[in-house]
Amino acid sequence: MEPKQPPPMGGDNSELQVFELGKEIRVPSGARIVSQGEAPQAFYVIKSGLVKVFRETADGIRTDLTDLGPGSYFGEVALVTGQPRTASVEAVAETFLIEIAKDDFDQVLDQNPQLARHIIKQLASWLVTGDRRLESEVVHQVKLRQISWFDYLLMVGLSIVFALVFNLYNDNQIPLFYHPGGKDAVGEISLSQALDLYRKNEAVFVDARKDSFFKQRHIKDSLSLPVIFFDLMYPMFEFMAAQKGGAKDKPVIAYGGGPSRRFDLELAGLLNKKGYEKAMVLSGDYQAWQNAFPLEGQEGKKPAALPLGFAGAIEWVPLSIFVLLLIPPIRRSPYLSVFCRVLLGWIFIQFALSKIMRPAVFALNVVDYGMMPAWGVNLWSLALPWAELVAGLFLILGIRTRAAATLIGAMNILFIVGLVNAIHHDLPINCGCVGEAGEPVNWWKVTKNAGMLLMAIQVFLYDRIFVLDRGGFIWRERKI
Amino acid sequence: MKKSLLLFGAVFILAVACLGLGGCGESRSAYAGNYQSMEPFAGKGHVDLELKENGEASWTHLGKTLKLKWRVAEGKIWLYTKEGGLLIVTPSEGGKILSADTTGEWHPGCPPEQCVLFKRVEAGE
Repeated sequence: MEPKQPPPMGGDNSELQVFELGKEIRVPSGARIVSQGEAPQAFYVIKSGLVKVFRETADGIRTDLTDLGPGSYFGEVALVTGQPRTASVEAVAETFLIEIAKDDFDQVLDQNPQLARHIIKQLASWLVTGDRRLESEVVHQVKLRQISWFDYLLMVGLSIVFALVFNLYNDNQIPLFYHPGGKDAVGEISLSQALDLYRKNEAVFVDARKDSFFKQRHIKDSLSLPVIFFDLMYPMFEFMAAQKGGAKDKPVIAYGGGPSRRFDLELAGLLNKKGYEKAMVLSGDYQAWQNAFPLEGQEGKKPAALPLGFAGAIEWVPLSIFVLLLIPPIRRSPYLSVFCRVLLGWIFIQFALSKIMRPAVFALNVVDYGMMPAWGVNLWSLALPWAELVAGLFLILGIRTRAAATLIGAMNILFIVGLVNAIHHDLPINCGCVGEAGEPVNWWKVTKNAGMLLMAIQVFLYDRIFVLDRGGFIWRERKI
Repeated sequence: MKKSLLLFGAVFILAVACLGLGGCGESRSAYAGNYQSMEPFAGKGHVDLELKENGEASWTHLGKTLKLKWRVAEGKIWLYTKEGGLLIVTPSEGGKILSADTTGEWHPGCPPEQCVLFKRVEAGE
């Protein structure tokens, strides 16, 4: 509904008729004058004051159409078409109106062709404007629904560029590709030969993994020297090895690498440099020692849970989506999309901020999952937190929300796969999601991530309000 | 589009600024100083731990010095090795005693067999 000019009520007897036929009414501020959908009873001319014209959908989305002031009129569309009211009108300030009953309005039109022409012209003008608005809205919706590869390139590209530039200037920078030196750099020993040395007590076995893995399961009587604390704990290793009768000319067998062989290869290389000339790794399957050697440890022992405060508490909120999705009017609500966007954005920014500054810590978490090849660990550890930050900011600001929701959903799927794999293999690891330590991997964590995934899907399907930049980059023509 | 990207840029800079501040953690001044292990480490020699206000730290044992980074968060000292290893250190007695958990994991209490206790060393001692 466009702003209406005063009808041509001056200069002839129309003004006289309108004011004679109608009756003056006073409407207090905030009162509703006509309601959308009701049967029309009268036509109104504003004498003084201000009214607002708006439409409202069944699920409560309100669209303000226009404000009308003195001299304007409303209520004629329903009277002319005989249809229910197309919009609601309420007073914004105390307003005085001339109310003309339906029968009297017909009489005014019959006797006043100039007024009738004006109303027809006005109605025709609305039709044209309405068509344009409809076209604009359809284009808007098409853009909103469109998934542009450019959006994904934009977000992934920004994440990689930010990650690389930040790493360049970060005090805690890590190399883009991790290379432990390869198997050629250290000697290898077959499982049967190693077992023979073990039985004869002629070699020192040293576990290269993190302490939690060692505590859970290790070769009986082996020593622990996590590569990540090599310089720090080497004196302790030397002390313990000496107590076990180990000498630098005796074989030292490093074991406990993951699929990437990151730990055992590096540890054997480092021990070589410290003078342990016979430091070597087990050849063949990196897990075979678990079936060949006598083991000891505390099966099922998991890292303790470190209280994460507010960041940890807010991670529980996505569980609410399971209830909200059961309520049909809420399920598709764009307001729920806004809630999901802000919450997901906040959580993922939290995730990102806890990892960006120290990528080496996060890289070790990635290694813990045992799913990433060695060459990809550092790149992934650098780029993922920035992808979380960029996608989180895009969601909160309402920029490219469908693409951002897709990325966040994809990350959630990866997390869920990783978590389920860790639970299935009983890995004693931290989640590595929001904290650097003490965040347990369990089914609750999987459920929280599933909630976040559902939220991302809801945003993808129904998000349409409070967005700054709905459209994608349109690269191909579309016929509307 | 242009407007939204400008806004994204502004918020992004803000987020990175927060990141910079957040990355520094809480104030380090209460714990900056020199510490020495209360028992010999690995059977010989004490460990000297120096925590500098700028976030750098050094762990010296038998004349060999290892560079570390540190920050304070949730009332604990977080020490980082270059390789990404993490030592969680719990201060007590107002920062005079530090309990360093050398497992690389967080535990509600410092595991006795893998705990290195440090005592603050005042200047001149």
